[in-house]
Amino acid sequence: MKPRKCFVFVTMICMFFLTALTGCTDSKETSKNVKQTDENGKLVELSYFVPNYGPTTVIKDYNDIAAYQVLERETGIHVDFQHPASDSDEVTQQFNLMMASGDLPDVIEYIWTNASGGPSKYLEGGQIIKLNKYIKKYAPNLSRVLKEHPDWKKQISTDDGSIYGFPFLRSDPELLTSYGPIIRKDWLDKLNLKIPTTIDEWHNVLKAFKEKDPNGNGKADEIPLLPALTSNAFIGAWGITPDFYQVNGKVKYGPTEPEFKAFLKVMHQWYKEGLIDKGYVATDGKLQDAKVTGNKLGAFMGYNGGSLGRYMGLMKEKNPDFRLEGIPYPTLQKGEKPIVGQKDSNFNGVAAAISGDNDHVKQTMKWLDRAYSDKGHLLFNFGVEGKSYKMVDGKPKYTKKITDNPDGLPMQEALAKYVRVAWSGPFVQDKGYVEQYYQLPEQKTALKNWSNAKNDILLPPITATPEESKQLSSIMNDINTYRETMVNKFVMGKEPLSKFDSFVKTLKGMGIEKAVKMKQAALDRYNKR
Amino acid sequence: MVRKKKKNHIRSGLGDMTFNTINVLIMIVLMLVTLYPFLYVLFSSFSDAGLLSQHRGILWKPLGFSLEAYKAVFDNPMVLIGYANTIFYVVVGTVINLALTILGAYALSRRQLMWKKPIMLGIVFTMFFSGGLVPRYLLVHDLGLLDTRWSLILPTAISVFNLIVMRTSFQAIPVSLEESARIDGANDFTILFRIVLPLSLPVIAVMTLFYGVSHWNSYFDAMIFLRDRDLFPLQLVLRTILITNDTSSMTVGSLGGDTYRISETIKYAVIIVATVPILFLYPFLQKYFVKGVMIGSLKE
Amino acid sequence: MASIQLGTRKEKATRLIRKATFRERVVKDFKRNKYVYAMLLPVVAYFLIFHYGPMYGVQIAFKNYDVTKGFLGSPWVGFEHFVEFFKSYYFWRLIRNTLLLSLYSLIFVFPAPIIFALLLNEIRNMKFKRLTQTITYLPHFISLVVVVGILVDFLSPQGLINQILSVFGVDVTNYLQEAGWFRTIFISSEVWQTVGWGSIIYLAAITNVNPQLYEAAKIDGAGRFRQIIHVTIPGILPTITILFILQLGSLMTVGYQKIILLYNPLTYETADVISTYIYRKGILDASYSYSAAIGLFDAVINFGILVLANRISKKVGETSLW
Repeated sequence: MKPRKCFVFVTMICMFFLTALTGCTDSKETSKNVKQTDENGKLVELSYFVPNYGPTTVIKDYNDIAAYQVLERETGIHVDFQHPASDSDEVTQQFNLMMASGDLPDVIEYIWTNASGGPSKYLEGGQIIKLNKYIKKYAPNLSRVLKEHPDWKKQISTDDGSIYGFPFLRSDPELLTSYGPIIRKDWLDKLNLKIPTTIDEWHNVLKAFKEKDPNGNGKADEIPLLPALTSNAFIGAWGITPDFYQVNGKVKYGPTEPEFKAFLKVMHQWYKEGLIDKGYVATDGKLQDAKVTGNKLGAFMGYNGGSLGRYMGLMKEKNPDFRLEGIPYPTLQKGEKPIVGQKDSNFNGVAAAISGDNDHVKQTMKWLDRAYSDKGHLLFNFGVEGKSYKMVDGKPKYTKKITDNPDGLPMQEALAKYVRVAWSGPFVQDKGYVEQYYQLPEQKTALKNWSNAKNDILLPPITATPEESKQLSSIMNDINTYRETMVNKFVMGKEPLSKFDSFVKTLKGMGIEKAVKMKQAALDRYNKR
Repeated sequence: MVRKKKKNHIRSGLGDMTFNTINVLIMIVLMLVTLYPFLYVLFSSFSDAGLLSQHRGILWKPLGFSLEAYKAVFDNPMVLIGYANTIFYVVVGTVINLALTILGAYALSRRQLMWKKPIMLGIVFTMFFSGGLVPRYLLVHDLGLLDTRWSLILPTAISVFNLIVMRTSFQAIPVSLEESARIDGANDFTILFRIVLPLSLPVIAVMTLFYGVSHWNSYFDAMIFLRDRDLFPLQLVLRTILITNDTSSMTVGSLGGDTYRISETIKYAVIIVATVPILFLYPFLQKYFVKGVMIGSLKE
Repeated sequence: MASIQLGTRKEKATRLIRKATFRERVVKDFKRNKYVYAMLLPVVAYFLIFHYGPMYGVQIAFKNYDVTKGFLGSPWVGFEHFVEFFKSYYFWRLIRNTLLLSLYSLIFVFPAPIIFALLLNEIRNMKFKRLTQTITYLPHFISLVVVVGILVDFLSPQGLINQILSVFGVDVTNYLQEAGWFRTIFISSEVWQTVGWGSIIYLAAITNVNPQLYEAAKIDGAGRFRQIIHVTIPGILPTITILFILQLGSLMTVGYQKIILLYNPLTYETADVISTYIYRKGILDASYSYSAAIGLFDAVINFGILVLANRISKKVGETSLW
């Protein structure tokens, strides 16, 4: 190769490298298009950041959802949805990167309570704007909803009363409970046992599961119980939770309470008797599936759709006798109403905020507010009349196309073509959804049983200050690691319960009291909102 | 003396046989052990979802037979777009990688280069110290590469590890070859193209494989730098299929963490779809791993 | 006496020359190597733009970085994050676990591909050789989630391993819940994943060994084994050394992905390493500063070890990274 030729080669590479670097600047698309209005100054385009939590097999982009298509037709505003890719950790990352780059779209929908530092940090930094003074004028529908539900308003505000976004609100208690104890009803029936409600009754039932061969294969291979020690089941019977909770406005931490020891004692006893799955610590979702569908597991904790409904579907043909039942959270005293179960807050943190770069606050707010009107409510919960729902006796009912899809799509996927109601979004979720989503009678029973709990001791959605949250995460990271390890050791008998006091002492040494104090401060601020 | 040598020969012949037998046995065991997980994935992907979910332990054949999982994967229109994009990233990316790595490795393998040591040190330094994700993102943003194909190619144009490996290999080429060429008036470009590259086919094959596979498998940069779904590489598309349907990720869902879980079989089908094409790269490159490339050129 | 004087005078003379010609030497070097520098240009440009450009981000290890305030606006906190890490309850456990896993992988995982490449090189049947190569590199392509899934499957109380061992009267053990087994599981699966893929580099290096050396060794009556020891290994020693040095340079780093999938509270005792600790912490809130601080701490130690190892290698084996 001649020198000149070679020079050409290298220069070519350099040029290539450089043009690629600079040339792309021209084709660069910023997250906000410059031309957002038409010649009359009417808003025609909005950019909107929102993680796509829908089933991607059905919707690539939220513009594939019929509700947004209708909205575009009605308002003439096209939305340029920007979906960050993939799972929750990565979404956090991309949210942070977007904030760091300072290149913000018009609307940012996010789980704001999960954002590090909380929404107030972004209000202060000017990334998003405070909506209080605009809401009455530009968002009459949301304004009305909040007036009717002062407790919702409290939940969606920051400690100083700022409203930062159009919230996702779940209207009824039925929408807030989805998790609880599940038991093999067919095994109970076979052994002539009643549904256990107290810890003692549970003990008897589990013992019977172990000894009386309810799966009828002649082998004692039944696993009576797969516990979830971080859930409120069982431990709730003692009136505490495995984490922070409150009694009359006073924050407490479950594992340092004497009741925790009593709970551990029972769990250890059950473990020793072989009533608890020996491999429970290393049991992941797949192993649990195998244990349930393999007719081994008698009772476990699970979700109404993802566990109960799914297992019933999986086993329908294989084992027609297979029946699961969602049963009430256990208590200590017979006839007592369960002290604590699982119940989310109406507001789970998802809200569509308006960014500081938005030049059309008024029009954007009006656009977002539509979802809270009566018409918008129907549109966002049920979709398009005549296609995805019909009015029956004045109530919206999903069509067959949704509930029993001709192409065999599960209801959530069929529904995703029309609305976002199956996950979340800036609107008020309707009870009608969940009532029709849980199609099996067993699921309806489960919902009734699980939501029957006092739940007074659950913490409301409190927010820590940025400084608090930094310290809390630093303290709780070590504590959670230690607690998880020790709880399992106590249950499995690798550590005797006589060491419980030194366990509590270590927790204190790690700063649990300081953490409780910070939670207390946050709760006090919340109550004053 | 002669006798002794003969005896030696026989012994080594016997030794050779035992050595060969044991060696082959080791290889067979190793093959079985490494082949199995792949077969496991393959069998699982063709299995019936319900049967698979309650199966434990070893799989010798698909449980039942079903193509549902593959249907589900290919029903997603993004998969084909993903394939096309990935092929672009692999081909263009690897070509740029190789060009730059060869130039760098050749330059840094020169013995009498004054600034070699500081430059090399500076390059190795970047293996350990980096500005972190945010500055990297801001850089790509400021260069205007965000949401373009180049964002997946330029920031990873050279891997330090590969550069070092290639340089080590270039250094192993006898100096004498180069010196005689220089006497004939060859410059560095001629030496690189006429002497070094022909002698380095095995290492170039390795680098092609390493770079190609890493482009094929990468998704993180795409996740960070791309928003436009039409630019997504296959791995990101597949990851989206897997993860957005996974239980853990839908905790924002309206019903707590309640969702349906994707069937196991789809997970396995995704792996097959994602790996099988790149597996075919290897046999093409394998012919360069033949002993004696060096000597062939030496004789020329 | 005289000779010493002579020596110093000579030294002085050379020093004078050197001083006088530094600029000339640069010019001369540039003239001689102009094409080489031309080749280096895009490479150096790449590293300057894409690696040194963002390097300013290192400062956040000493700041409380906040995305809303930016790099300049975030307040300095000095060594606060480092101190917090050193004072962390599990600091020593993290260091111990990280170092032990690295050390074991240096002992077991690192040599495996070398041995495999050497053995594979002795296979005479080309078809068999190619088949072995192709098959053994398969595990590299299977995602970690699946590899771990299979491991969990096999190691569970009803899994394959326990089934086989129970034939020999060994009690059923839940390996994944025993802290004592974690390192064994981690390291052996690591070997399994990397042995084939890792051997590719060595196989390429072996092709560079001069075949005449083997002929010579054969004439000397060396058997296959001795040929490996005396010809092949010395032939690929520079490659081994370089990779070994690089491996030493990651002594403080063990990837978190596989561990996250494989560990549980009962095995934290042996499984929790620095990277998993950062991961758990990073999940709670995107604490860029804290993880940057720990990352910097790791990098400084790693780089130190690398420089040291390289110096030793240069002295002993004349192989050097730079």
